[in-house]
Amino acid sequence: MKNSISHIKNSLRNKKISVEELYDEFLIKAKSSKNNTFNLLLDKENNILSIKESQKRYENGNPLPLDGIPLGIKDLFCTKGIRTTASSKILSNFTPNYESFVTQKLLDDGSIFIGKNNCDEFAMGSSNETSFFGPVKNPWKNKNYPTDDLVPGGSSGGSAAAVAEGTCVASLGTDTGGSIRQPASLCGIVGLKPTFGSCSRWGIVAFASSLDQAGPLTNSVEDAALILNSINKHDFNDTTSSNHFREDYSNDINNKLDQKIKIGIPSDYLKDVSGDILSQIENTKKALIKHNVEFVDVEFKTTEYALSTYYILAPAEASSNLARYDGIRYGVREDGKSLDDIYLNSRTKGFGDEVTRRILIGAYVLSAGYYDAYYRQAQKVRRLIKDDFQRIFNDVDFILTPTTPNEAFKIGDKLDPISMYKNDIYTVPTSLAGLPGISIPSGLSTNGLPLGIQFIGNYFEEKKLLQIAALAEKELNFNEQ
Amino acid sequence: MSNNWEMVIGLEVHAQLNTSSKLFSSSPNQFGSEPNENVNFIDSGMPGMLPVMNFACIEMAIKTGYALNFNINKYSVFERKNYFYPDLPQGYQISQFEFPILTEGFINIDNDGNQKKIRIERAHLEQDAGKSIHDIDPKFSFIDLNRVGTPLLEIVSYPDLSSAEEVVSYMSSLRQVLMYIDVCDGNMQEGSLRADVNLSVRKKGGELGTRCEIKNLNSFKFIRQAIEYEFKRQIDVIESGGKIEQNTMLFDTSTGETRAMRSKEFSHDYRYFPDPDLLPVNLTQDQIDKVKTSVGELPQAKLDKFIKDYKVDKDIAKIITVEKQNAILFEKMISETDVKPKFIAAWLVGDIFAFIKENNLEVSSLNEKTKEITDLLKLVSDDVISNKAGKEILPKVLNGQGKPSDIVKELGLEQVSDSGELEKIIDEALIGEEENISKFQSGSDRVLGYFVGKCLKATKGKGNPKLINKILLDRLKK
Amino acid sequence: MSEIDIKRISYLAKLKLPLEKEEFYANSLKDIIKWVDNLKKIDTSKTEPLHNVTEKTVSIRNDEINKSNSVNDVLSNAPDRAQNFFKVPKVVE
Repeated sequence: MKNSISHIKNSLRNKKISVEELYDEFLIKAKSSKNNTFNLLLDKENNILSIKESQKRYENGNPLPLDGIPLGIKDLFCTKGIRTTASSKILSNFTPNYESFVTQKLLDDGSIFIGKNNCDEFAMGSSNETSFFGPVKNPWKNKNYPTDDLVPGGSSGGSAAAVAEGTCVASLGTDTGGSIRQPASLCGIVGLKPTFGSCSRWGIVAFASSLDQAGPLTNSVEDAALILNSINKHDFNDTTSSNHFREDYSNDINNKLDQKIKIGIPSDYLKDVSGDILSQIENTKKALIKHNVEFVDVEFKTTEYALSTYYILAPAEASSNLARYDGIRYGVREDGKSLDDIYLNSRTKGFGDEVTRRILIGAYVLSAGYYDAYYRQAQKVRRLIKDDFQRIFNDVDFILTPTTPNEAFKIGDKLDPISMYKNDIYTVPTSLAGLPGISIPSGLSTNGLPLGIQFIGNYFEEKKLLQIAALAEKELNFNEQ
Repeated sequence: MSNNWEMVIGLEVHAQLNTSSKLFSSSPNQFGSEPNENVNFIDSGMPGMLPVMNFACIEMAIKTGYALNFNINKYSVFERKNYFYPDLPQGYQISQFEFPILTEGFINIDNDGNQKKIRIERAHLEQDAGKSIHDIDPKFSFIDLNRVGTPLLEIVSYPDLSSAEEVVSYMSSLRQVLMYIDVCDGNMQEGSLRADVNLSVRKKGGELGTRCEIKNLNSFKFIRQAIEYEFKRQIDVIESGGKIEQNTMLFDTSTGETRAMRSKEFSHDYRYFPDPDLLPVNLTQDQIDKVKTSVGELPQAKLDKFIKDYKVDKDIAKIITVEKQNAILFEKMISETDVKPKFIAAWLVGDIFAFIKENNLEVSSLNEKTKEITDLLKLVSDDVISNKAGKEILPKVLNGQGKPSDIVKELGLEQVSDSGELEKIIDEALIGEEENISKFQSGSDRVLGYFVGKCLKATKGKGNPKLINKILLDRLKK
Repeated sequence: MSEIDIKRISYLAKLKLPLEKEEFYANSLKDIIKWVDNLKKIDTSKTEPLHNVTEKTVSIRNDEINKSNSVNDVLSNAPDRAQNFFKVPKVVE
């Protein structure tokens, strides 16, 4: 594939293009993009040192794994000396003096950041419409309504759209309830949410700490594996970071499956879905069945509770995580006569509607008299959901689901929060269980819009997960459609 | 005010743990630094920063658990206590709530010579907050986050205390124990140990009243004043027909009065929930057992030992055991000499402590000089020099002006203990004293004093008084 | 479900909702709380709450000091500062 990391690295190695030319090419394209995919683009001067060092390594014949590759970074990762806003007004002037753990790993592996991708404010949203910097437009158009601007999904909407429009080779996003997989699906690219605890959360603006996880949005499964190789490391400074053994995820990614693979398809996920969505699953079955893959029906007992659980727990954690934004030590301070006024004004004016809504939900479900009925009950149900997945994984290697219940929709179409929240119906359960999930593009809807399928693996089985995804990718052949 | 009211008091004591670094960050845990000098990105609540627990804090909590007879819980959980304040950068304080590390302890306090057992409900680890400084500018407060994240052990008693005296006794016993086991420096002035006092009043034996909490008292004097004021205030309110409202009070150190903090529109609701950034603490029995050896001897055990084994008077033993460094110094001296502990103890609380106080020294600074001190005390107890000479030399020894024996020689303070020499002097002194001698022999003891004095004078004060006494008696009885 | 006291909730969250938006948020909250109320029908009497999918014990560090930033690094984003303090209007207690 032309824009794959390995292809670009080959061109750099063979001197078909220099690191600087590559950067220019992407930057020019990004600057002319009309999709509002970046909150900030870094001019060449900002990166000139890294570009030169990278070039030198190519010339010396010892390039690093991601050397010279222009990446987009969701504007939720703190980047040292580079403005980091979480797409919120309250952080719109914030420049951290530290680098997040995972972006540091990407820098260590030679990649070059082209800019900070637009996203939903504090990663709260499923359409990238809640950003202080305005909505991101999906580069894809509905062939029946070609003038409509469509959402890219969210919250890593800028990341997904940027990869899809070709303004960065890959982007680093975060996924709390589907924020990597859902926009990847709506933009026709690959998105991987690793197992909770794989990639350090240190330096990522927190949304819901028990769910947040960084991961790649890429053109191919192999690219996702290459990025994962870089960011999947144990971090002592994140107490929830796992210190299990990490494999090389890109090595052997195209190997033939040597054992019989059993994939469960949750029948309860497929009730009431459109023919477009159903055919994604059918096509995938057809494509894989010849590769010694067996498909079985499985059924969850907890699916109908997953969204409720998520929309209690995530806002509860968010309401507390966002308490630090007060205009006292950093961020935008609004005027006020008293200290209390400063607090109230900075927070009230600094947060948009959706963030405000979730802070309120969170404060409510944790408040005296409601804690047991909502927060504690949701934590208990979360255990039931986790157990439900483990029951199914006792019998199957992977679970296959649609990534989203629908294709990309028109900006401004979904005003009701609950119907927006339902976009995450297939991705949220995985997040609650902490399991890894990958979305790959599987085909086009009747409107000519991309749709994705999601493979879910067991804990820390990213290697296997990437292999089955790579196989499906090859068979479905989306990029040549 | 009728005197049939009594007060019911529970105490929440916050003890700063004397670790090197903070509870969840590796910034220095240090008092008195330049503003915001000990602050990193975690302490200042920067986006994306995560806490990592300092295990020394857990060890200190376990140690306290042993010392205060607590149940030490293997399972404890850090939760977030959510509220807004400028010196609380995260917008929440990480504390333990539903599952504290220590539960159900007690301490025996001295109550007018009797022991009283004060039950302690729980103790938990939490972060300290920063400081807002209000007195630099009339319009602005300045925020220093140095104290943010300092580890605190909050020790919550049952409402077992019923007077200001008991509260002070409880607080000082706690302080003593925490300093003995070396988890807190006990410096109340610097805020290392602070108390919130929960006080209610009731008619003797009657129903419990509504309590008010007086926040952040950091001296015994303020604790006493605040309790006395609040006790009277509550009784006044009730006796004039009013009702006590559950309130958080501040104590104004300049007026000695308590006043309610600005009442908020709504009551507090801290919305505690388990901190998702921190997994639960699961201790192994081995981790708990390991700490036990480091607890050391507690004040009560030391006191008993000093009285029983070393035969030190109770009052003197108490003075020595008040602070651990006294006891350390005392025991070091005992181990280095065969001089009787009781003799050493008397010198320690007398002239030695006086010297320390006069020169504004740390008791521990004498640990290096115990050899010289005990050498000196040996000279005194062996009658090589007089008690008076000992007192004279002590400051010189402590100031490092030489070995005691050298100083004694230099100043010629050695006592004459040669009986031959003394006999000669005594015989001379008795010449021409026939009248007084016969007075003595007819039973006048007063005369003996006269003779001792005369002989001492003849030796220029250097004669060993005991020996002179003995020889004199010998001669006079003949 | 009881009525939502939007004033109290926004007070706890340190938000001052404009009057014309109070009802909007109150209704929105009400809808969402009603929507998540389906959890109440699940019997969880024998289920322990799940704090975190990583059900390990907390990892720890040794008691060592590590100073990796300057005072200025901490204050460089401050909206208002005086020397090395953060500055705010007077706090009234």
